Amino acid sequence: MNGTTTIAQFRDVILDPAKRRHYQLAWLSTVDHKRIAVLYMLTGLVFFVVGGVEALLMRLQLAIPNNHFLAPDTFNQLFTMHGTTMIFLVVMPVVFGFANYVLPLQIGARDMAFPRLNAFGFWCVPLGGILLHFSVLAGGAPAVGWFSYAPLSETPYSSSPGVDYWAVAIFVLGIGSLSFAINTIATVISLRGPGMTMRRLPLFTWMNFINAFIIILALPVLNGALAMILIDRQLHGHFFLPIGGGSPVLWQHIFWAFGHPEVYILALPAFAMVSEIIPVFSRKPIFGYEFVAASSVAIAVLSLGVWGHHMFTVGMGRPLDMFFAISSMLIAIPTGVKVLNWTATMIGGRIRFQVPMLFCVAFLVQFLLAGITGISHAVVPLDWQTKNSYFLVAHFHFVAVGGIVFAVLGGLQYWFPKMSGRMLSERLGKWTFWLMVIGFNMTFLIQHVLGLLGMPRRIYTYPDLPHWGWMNMLSTIGVFFMGASALILVWNLATSFFRGKIAGDNPWEAWTLEWATTSPPPHENFVALPPIRSRRPLWDIANPDRPDPIVGENSAAVTLPNHNKIGILSFIVSEAGFFATLILAYLYFYARPQPGPNARGLDIPRTLVFSVCLFASSFTFWRSEVGLMKQRRGSMLGWLALTILLGGIFLVGQGTEYWKLFQSGVDLSTNMFSTTFFTLTGFHGLHVLMALIALLIFLWMAWEGDLVSSRFGSAFESAGYFWHFVDVVWVFVLLTVYILPLLR
Amino acid sequence: MSTYQFFTTTWAWNSAVLVISAVALVGYVLAFGRRGRPLYFAGAVVVFLLAFISPFSALANGYLFSAHMVQHILLVLIVPALFLLSLPQSFSLRSSLSYFSHPLIGWVAGVGAMWLWHAPALCNAAATSRTVSAIQTTTLLLMGSVFWWQVLAPREEQRLSPLAGILYLFTACTACSVLGIILTFAPVSICPVYQHPVDRLGMLSTIRGDWGLTSDRDQQIGGLLMWVPMCAIYATAILVQLARWHSSPQPEQSNA
Repeated sequence: MNGTTTIAQFRDVILDPAKRRHYQLAWLSTVDHKRIAVLYMLTGLVFFVVGGVEALLMRLQLAIPNNHFLAPDTFNQLFTMHGTTMIFLVVMPVVFGFANYVLPLQIGARDMAFPRLNAFGFWCVPLGGILLHFSVLAGGAPAVGWFSYAPLSETPYSSSPGVDYWAVAIFVLGIGSLSFAINTIATVISLRGPGMTMRRLPLFTWMNFINAFIIILALPVLNGALAMILIDRQLHGHFFLPIGGGSPVLWQHIFWAFGHPEVYILALPAFAMVSEIIPVFSRKPIFGYEFVAASSVAIAVLSLGVWGHHMFTVGMGRPLDMFFAISSMLIAIPTGVKVLNWTATMIGGRIRFQVPMLFCVAFLVQFLLAGITGISHAVVPLDWQTKNSYFLVAHFHFVAVGGIVFAVLGGLQYWFPKMSGRMLSERLGKWTFWLMVIGFNMTFLIQHVLGLLGMPRRIYTYPDLPHWGWMNMLSTIGVFFMGASALILVWNLATSFFRGKIAGDNPWEAWTLEWATTSPPPHENFVALPPIRSRRPLWDIANPDRPDPIVGENSAAVTLPNHNKIGILSFIVSEAGFFATLILAYLYFYARPQPGPNARGLDIPRTLVFSVCLFASSFTFWRSEVGLMKQRRGSMLGWLALTILLGGIFLVGQGTEYWKLFQSGVDLSTNMFSTTFFTLTGFHGLHVLMALIALLIFLWMAWEGDLVSSRFGSAFESAGYFWHFVDVVWVFVLLTVYILPLLR
Repeated sequence: MSTYQFFTTTWAWNSAVLVISAVALVGYVLAFGRRGRPLYFAGAVVVFLLAFISPFSALANGYLFSAHMVQHILLVLIVPALFLLSLPQSFSLRSSLSYFSHPLIGWVAGVGAMWLWHAPALCNAAATSRTVSAIQTTTLLLMGSVFWWQVLAPREEQRLSPLAGILYLFTACTACSVLGIILTFAPVSICPVYQHPVDRLGMLSTIRGDWGLTSDRDQQIGGLLMWVPMCAIYATAILVQLARWHSSPQPEQSNA
């Protein structure tokens, strides 16, 4: 898509086999952020069709009472796949795609900080998608809901491998999301163009930056939960099965500790798009930039501590209910601030009601309603009444469709010209818009009423009670409007790509940097960057007589932090979250002892000896770094080899401990203690092994090559951070597993 | 004792706390006179007094873990913060103390104040012995001050940069939340004294019966207090950092 794509060129490519092959490979092997972004979005579009058809089938089943169009189990499978697909395979890839395309452009970077990692992150999506859908061939799709509540998701109740595929797929997708988030953080911190200080970041970039932090904090929690459920299912662990002392409620806690931030992981990028579009189409700068920016941080912090409102019906007890109710209500404040700012931006503006703006206005209305029903779920007694009804289905579809999808469709209309060089048709866009708004409200507005009338959710059919029939029929008809809207959208995308009006650099007269380059941008993004003194550099160029006030200091001379360092530190934060989850789960069960082997049976003195080896390896690694700094090859190689040796000794120590336990008949499935013990120490051991392999590669590189290259130094430093991190984790594991029982 | 009686009669007026507060006020006036911001200092003293003479103190004194937690939060987070805010800009640490102004020390002090005093043995001792309790109060105030110094030191150049401040506060919030989560979900009593209080005031039946605060619930509320409202304090401080960041045209310019 580089350069100007014309039909003639395209035909040329299609007809010439050599060129065709070149283009296929160029797209498959690309590490260019723009191409990866397009791949993300196309993949999202494919799964959008899949998830949409699943929704359509379910609505057909629910159209009339006592329907037998779908078997109950098929319905459950569709409903699990629909939720999982829409969240993990549609919205996440699509919003990541937007960020991937626009974010580097907005900050004047040539690419993301780690282009190969970027490609890896994307390819996790098709892999995860295929794994998830392969379950259909391998004995049936998961039928446990996208939340996969235990114990339903455990082997005794779901014996087909659907849940296993589900868990592995989500794990893979989670790793992809983490790669993307790490990349985003490193890009924003380390790759900003001259003059683009943190305070001048466009709101789109700022919010995606904040969002990346939510991802690295929340996704590892999910990965921890998935690891546990897989251990339960594959290795006969006991985490979430009451029969072995496990706790199904713990699954809910861990899942929603991820699940609620996840809502904001999906919503913040949508907010980000709206914050970009509304000012441009109101011809005014955003009202209260600082408030919009800061409220994103507030949302990020609060979102991590409100998950309990998903669990009011679990019976957590009054104290927990009360605190989660309050913290959940608090989140309405920063969100409300945002809605206020967007609205205030429009007041007094010369509003252009083109398609992107139409979607944003609809977003404001629908999202406001979603927010209000959201607050109603923070009220515990009300939540008890409506939680398992269609009222909740209506609520979260107002968030997910009326909020997120509307913003994404607006963003698509807005940035498509930049990506393709051609405008989407306004006329078809308006058809998409109106059909979507009408269809969406037909489908979901009425579901609020259905819920209040008492129709439970997650059911495959329902009795013919007064009003239920026609309301459900109306809801189903609405889906067809949305389907038509989606078809028109695809048609619009396809035809406009070939025949749309040529866009030019800046069709919307917008002010951020992505509009300062050609559409589509050249491979290197910018020939030359305009001067950046404010948050709207293109406004300053267009209006030299009345530029925006200069924001902050010009810190052109400041050197930005090394991206390797930022990358590895972000990765370490996410790993810390993963281990924190495992350690907390360990403690949870440690405090509820079961009969059988326990922590007192562990050989503490021997473990301490091996621990000293591991801790010493941090020191030897530091000596190796000193050797590298002083360019003493022998010293560097020697200390590095010693580090690897010490790490190896530690692993051997762990291995002998495992061996002795196996000999005495203790394995992962013996009791709760052994499950948690092997999980925690096993994952730590795996990390040591991984880090050891990395160090071996460095040893080999240092042996073969020269050490002068600065890239080697910074990569070596990053590996060092990870090595020290692995040691620090062991401090916590040692304290929790081995030392804590001694204190009693 | 009924609830009404309790809230009217358990104010501990003749406590040494009053004397300490008076001395502190006089000391503040003598040391800084009008250069400081006495209103903040008065605020600190009032909160300190509330923590020790109000009926809350009687509850924290062996009855309720959650009341103890309120006291704990006031002493670590509120009183020291108000105290630092009251200092005049000219105030600087003696060079022998400058060692406490390292961010890592500040962080460890702030988080340590939470974790250390909730080790079962220490928590029990503080709830039963007056001496230990006095030591606890002193260390909490000191550690809180060391923690807040990084963000609330009198002069701009003594504080962390706003973005580093956010990181500092967020990680502290996380570390305390983890403890809050552990306290909330622990099935065993972290501070066993509160499980079977010595009923000095004849209040136990009111607390357990009328108020519905069983010892399990009590500990849960304590954990939740450390988790939710405390993080709200950190979150507020984070927002203040953001405001500071956005409002300072020149990072070097000192804030009045």
